[in-house]
Amino acid sequence: MEKIKTLADLKLKQEKFRSQVELRSKASRAEELVQIKVAMATCGIASGAKEVMEFFVEELDKRNIEAVVTQTGCMGYCFAEPTIEVTLFGKDPVVFGYVDVKKADEIIERYIKTGELVDGIIPKNYESIN
Amino acid sequence: MHMMDIVQNSIRAGASNVEITFIENKTDSSLTFSVKDNGTGMTEETVRKISDPFFTSRTTRKVGLGVPFLKMTCEQTGGSLTIQSELNKGTEITAVYRTDHPDCLPLGDLAGYLVLLLIANPKMDIKFTYRLGDEKFEISARELGENEIDDLNSAGMSAAVKEYINENLKELFLVRKTESYLC
Repeated sequence: MEKIKTLADLKLKQEKFRSQVELRSKASRAEELVQIKVAMATCGIASGAKEVMEFFVEELDKRNIEAVVTQTGCMGYCFAEPTIEVTLFGKDPVVFGYVDVKKADEIIERYIKTGELVDGIIPKNYESIN
Repeated sequence: MHMMDIVQNSIRAGASNVEITFIENKTDSSLTFSVKDNGTGMTEETVRKISDPFFTSRTTRKVGLGVPFLKMTCEQTGGSLTIQSELNKGTEITAVYRTDHPDCLPLGDLAGYLVLLLIANPKMDIKFTYRLGDEKFEISARELGENEIDDLNSAGMSAAVKEYINENLKELFLVRKTESYLC
């Protein structure tokens, strides 16, 4: 397979993907999508938040779940990193701790797909992440 | 790790522009890593305290380890850390590493972290430059946007952008005449 070395190669690749998958306009109705915030402060990064975030970006797309994955600072749960905050449309945000790839898979399959609460929820005690 | 960690500080400071720069100097075996943003900036007093791991401006916890870790890893190679900041203007944090020192850490997955930064902060203009001698590789959110490459949130495209960065860095690193601890 040809390597991607130039912006033109990247653009071609994007066109190829777009022709394969129906383009979804996420920006226009972002608030209706599943919102996932991955805590990416020192504690989160040191505990493996990068792998968790990469997993969400890849797997949510592969499983056809429309979501917005963003990063955030420390939520104050350094002991339970990596932590993520998941907001389903019309529901309150839920924070999950000790999220590894296995737990992330469970959160996608059970909480995001069916709304079923899974182990690892941390009671939220902050007003806004700072 | 440092790149994501320090840029997270810029994000928290409300920056809309972030410039991440690596300058590898072949002649004096140094690597200069800097993050410059146009965020809220800091007072002189905060700049003085920022290397103290028990100082943080957060209220959710009592420690702030990002900058102290950066200071530790560059100073353990014989390098140094400088911070320039002006309130309401922005901050530039610069770490110099001695790359011929055995305690110099490898660069790590630069491409992976950079792609995540671009995906997670679509409204931010993030510019990344890696300069090695006279050669350089640059990528920025603006440049991607101008080329209508805006589907980064899909699995295929995030992998494609990562490959693009890795291929260009690999080619850039060929300029090195000797093996480097940086990998």
